[in-house]
Amino acid sequence: MTMYTVNQTGETASSTVTRLLKDLLGRNIADAVLVSAENPWSRLPMPTVFTDSANMDRVVPLAPSTSVSFARQASLLVRGPAGKTVVLVLKPCEIRAFIELAKLNQCSLESAILVSMDCPGRLENGDYVALAAEVQNLGEAFPSDLSFQEKLTVTCASCDAFIPDSADLQICVTGMDGKLGVKAGTAKGEDIAARLNLATCEEPQNRAEALSALAGKRKERKTALFSETASTLKSIEGFQAAISRCINCYNCRSACPVCYCRECVFLTDVFVHPPELLLERAARRGSVKMPTDTTMFHMTRMSHIAHACVGCGQCTSVCPSEIPVADLFRTVAEKTQSYFDYMPGRNVLEPIPQLVARKGQSQE
Amino acid sequence: MSETETQIPSYKPRIVALVCNWCTYTAADLAGTSRLSYPAEIRMVRLMCTGMIDQKYILKAFLDGADGVFIGGCHPGDCHYLDGNLKAERRIGGTRNLIEQFGFYPERLKLQWIGASEGPEFQHHMTEFVERIVAMGPSQVRDRMIL
Ligand code: SF4
Ligand code: SF4
Ligand code: FES
Repeated sequence: MTMYTVNQTGETASSTVTRLLKDLLGRNIADAVLVSAENPWSRLPMPTVFTDSANMDRVVPLAPSTSVSFARQASLLVRGPAGKTVVLVLKPCEIRAFIELAKLNQCSLESAILVSMDCPGRLENGDYVALAAEVQNLGEAFPSDLSFQEKLTVTCASCDAFIPDSADLQICVTGMDGKLGVKAGTAKGEDIAARLNLATCEEPQNRAEALSALAGKRKERKTALFSETASTLKSIEGFQAAISRCINCYNCRSACPVCYCRECVFLTDVFVHPPELLLERAARRGSVKMPTDTTMFHMTRMSHIAHACVGCGQCTSVCPSEIPVADLFRTVAEKTQSYFDYMPGRNVLEPIPQLVARKGQSQE
Repeated sequence: MSETETQIPSYKPRIVALVCNWCTYTAADLAGTSRLSYPAEIRMVRLMCTGMIDQKYILKAFLDGADGVFIGGCHPGDCHYLDGNLKAERRIGGTRNLIEQFGFYPERLKLQWIGASEGPEFQHHMTEFVERIVAMGPSQVRDRMIL
């Protein structure tokens, strides 16, 4: 993959990226941009749509934050037949989620330009706001100060998929000797780089090494986390213990970028049982915990989305009961994805495994 | 081994069979009219195609106390909806992989192609599955479900 140089003297990394985004609007390559931006009342970056580069003062494209699933919001913005072209600046896991949604026709890749970066990871919203109050321009400071790594969510600290392989334009930060680079991951990306007249450059020697060092560290944490989690899940008691604090608020479900059902069965009357049944169950089992069907909820969700889980960690972030939902789902998802030999969001042409009609698996 | 198994000689297994209308259900009918008896423990649910089996049907059966879940569909190539059965095969494979992670015995979930004219095969597979489940003993999942 060719690397392009984008730095201008005196610019910070985020102002370089912002200038690039403005350029995409200015040269009519895109009609709109969806990117992290602060607002007058809050430093917490939200997915924000711009159509005019003049309004993009509060944009923070490299902020270590994903306050809400950007992929889900992006899918609301870019859907239907190709219309306006929208640049989506998303973290790598969100790019993968967006591509999964595209496979389900819940958004359209044709009208999207996917821009992503070597991911700095993200902080929980509260932690981000607190740190942003202390540190000027957190997006700049974050990648270079290793002490910040400690503040990452558990999910990000154990994420080894932080390179945006499937994005059209990939902003390179890690091992770049303080500069920025851009790589085109697709033909669309190449075309845009050409239209922006970007000059090519050599990939710094340090980069590959820096990336693999970080990936190695992350992978180690991931392996430890997954094996610990798997050992807690491996019996029906263990499963229930893991979700025992769940209050069935379904926050994890609505925060999930790949929970694709338009109408979730858990929001219907299917699990609203007649009182007699609840009493009968209580008599038979000794008691009935309400709200009911908590195990059913989590197992069903796993059975539906384990193949598509991109490991973004939003479910953990929104859980009021502090259940490490993402640890559970990522652990299960890794096994499911290896069973199907599938990586969600790797390539839009890779079909959803359960929709592949393929003979040959034994009936067992 | 997390799903404790205890042998109860006189126990009657609870078995849910999710069967396709066009093949396995017809085969069951045929078995009936041919006076081929098959185990009475089976609670048969007729579906229009195995392709409509959502993972949650299987999970619900197990969590609510099924000792075994049998799925019967058309032979590959014979599905009335072209390839519902092959998609079902993938989905069931994924579900088996999932429940295994939680200590369920995957042998309790079986998929079998049984064509409409295969009355004797229906009898054979049902008997065999019931024997398998009886040998395994009752599933302890329902009794251990609290949440
Ligand atoms: S999970 Fe990985 S890709 Fe997603 S925000 Fe965290 S570090 Fe980035
Ligand atoms: S967010 Fe937490 S409490 Fe709410 S449904 Fe999910 S796991 Fe349960
Ligand atoms: S119609 Fe019988 S399995 Fe599809």
